[in-house]
Amino acid sequence: MNAGGSNFSMRVLVVEDEKKTASFVRKALQAEGFAVDVCHNGDDALAAARATPFDGIVLDIMLPGRDGLSVLRQLRERKNVTPVLLLSARGEVNERVEGLNAGADDYLPKPFELVELVARVRALTRRGGETKSTVLRVADLTLDTLTRQAQRGETKIELTAREFRLLEFLMRSAGRMCGRMMILEKVWDYDFDPGTNLVDVYIRRLREKIDAEFEPKLLHTVRGAGYMLKQAP
Amino acid sequence: MTIRTRLTLWYAGILTASLLVIGYGTYREIDEQMRHAHRSEPTERAIGETSEMVFQVGLPAVLLGLLGGWWLTRRALGPVKKLTDAATKIQERNLRDPLPRTGNGDELDQLTKVFNDSLARLDDSFKRIHEFTLHASHELKTPLTVLCGEIETTLRDETLPPAERERLLSQLDEVRRLSKIVDGLTLLAKADAGQVTMQFETVRLDELVRDNFADAQILAEPQSIKVELQNCEEISVRGDRHRLRQLLLNLADNAVKYNQPQGGVTVNLQRVDGFAEFTVANTGQGIPPEILPRVFDRFFRGDPAHSQTVDGCGLGLSIAQWIVSAHNGTIKIESATAKTTTVTMRLPMEE
Repeated sequence: MNAGGSNFSMRVLVVEDEKKTASFVRKALQAEGFAVDVCHNGDDALAAARATPFDGIVLDIMLPGRDGLSVLRQLRERKNVTPVLLLSARGEVNERVEGLNAGADDYLPKPFELVELVARVRALTRRGGETKSTVLRVADLTLDTLTRQAQRGETKIELTAREFRLLEFLMRSAGRMCGRMMILEKVWDYDFDPGTNLVDVYIRRLREKIDAEFEPKLLHTVRGAGYMLKQAP
Repeated sequence: MTIRTRLTLWYAGILTASLLVIGYGTYREIDEQMRHAHRSEPTERAIGETSEMVFQVGLPAVLLGLLGGWWLTRRALGPVKKLTDAATKIQERNLRDPLPRTGNGDELDQLTKVFNDSLARLDDSFKRIHEFTLHASHELKTPLTVLCGEIETTLRDETLPPAERERLLSQLDEVRRLSKIVDGLTLLAKADAGQVTMQFETVRLDELVRDNFADAQILAEPQSIKVELQNCEEISVRGDRHRLRQLLLNLADNAVKYNQPQGGVTVNLQRVDGFAEFTVANTGQGIPPEILPRVFDRFFRGDPAHSQTVDGCGLGLSIAQWIVSAHNGTIKIESATAKTTTVTMRLPMEE
């Protein structure tokens, strides 16, 4: 997958007391080119964050001793603005709000999919660096976010409002894996899994419009992971 | 007939009988006295005097007695009525509110105490079930996260043999399905425990319905199902936008899933009897009447064969029902003919 290169020199702290979870999260982030430090409790996390400037922190809420929310508040009190992604097994709407109010940048309920976590960490560490351009381009596919025009080569493509949002999101994340939950959150504004195959059906439609009659194919499905818009297969 | 009416009638009967006995006694007494005095035609005069006594003294006394009896039964049975009223209001939700006790230790007070004790036990069992579900779903989350993460990590290995990859992908699908079930279960367990707060605001229901209609059309397309929006009146409700969207999507999704190829779905939103009424009707197999009352039950699947082909966690309608009742609304499902199923939801409108 999108290993190496782009995330090089990005350093992430993973705070998770469950050893197995910490281990595969570390592996997945390392595979994406992040340098990863792991802590298993809140006090170590605070000490680590004080000693090293991280580009992002993945913070589990349920920790032995000092919990994740308390760590987060401490960090923000110390004027540490490192982007934080909260993980939680409770997954309550209220907890999400509470976490964001305490200064978290994103929130992911357990059980999560690894691809979601990786995509979120990537988005987190890139925050601010995202392209502000109004015309997005992948190969010969262009999307003008001002005139709301989509075009493949010379052919204009008609999109519904939802398809437009979906394509815009995929194009802004071009070359990166997009999980279903993240698509639901960004395109549909759902912060829960509605348990439908809405995303898959929309992707199929979008593929018919932007890929069916064109080469090369741009919209790729990675089974068990999600979708990716990119030029190479 | 209520106990009170019955008692009053019995009492009236007894009083009337006593009146007759007293009347007859009086008559005999007067007759005797007159015969003793050797008066002529004693019988007729005796009857006259007796009836005078019966009507002037006996009848008012009987009426007074009746009135007193009526009052007495009211006094005696009043607490029973209060108890009944209070017990009628008992639902799973307010088991914690005991019935009011007089505290005077009489028979009814004893009855109330016994009743309250069983309520408390019932409440306790419900609480245990809720807590169990909540804890169980929490405990399942960590192992599920690990399972999902480890399978995903293995899948990242590009040298994995295709057969192995296929096997792992299939496992991942099942783990995700399990995660969805656990998510649904957690949500319902929290809802039962009153731990989910809704973010109420003014919501234009027609806008949500239109949005949902667009999604439903897309969901229905692969099976060539036609989705139609009949009415969509401008209606505002007080509600949680996210939950209402979840509800609408859930109903639309069901209408497509339990349909047939080339079938139809009809969506309708209009004002009915001062409520916002939303209906989704779909063609398909229909639901046999004997299982209709159970479709909102958790994990209930009408047709076990169907559950193999339709993907879902089996909690959709239970969640839908919870969302509707949290909005003080009602939801029902009907299968008028064997071929169509209609879900009707009513929410209170906002002025």
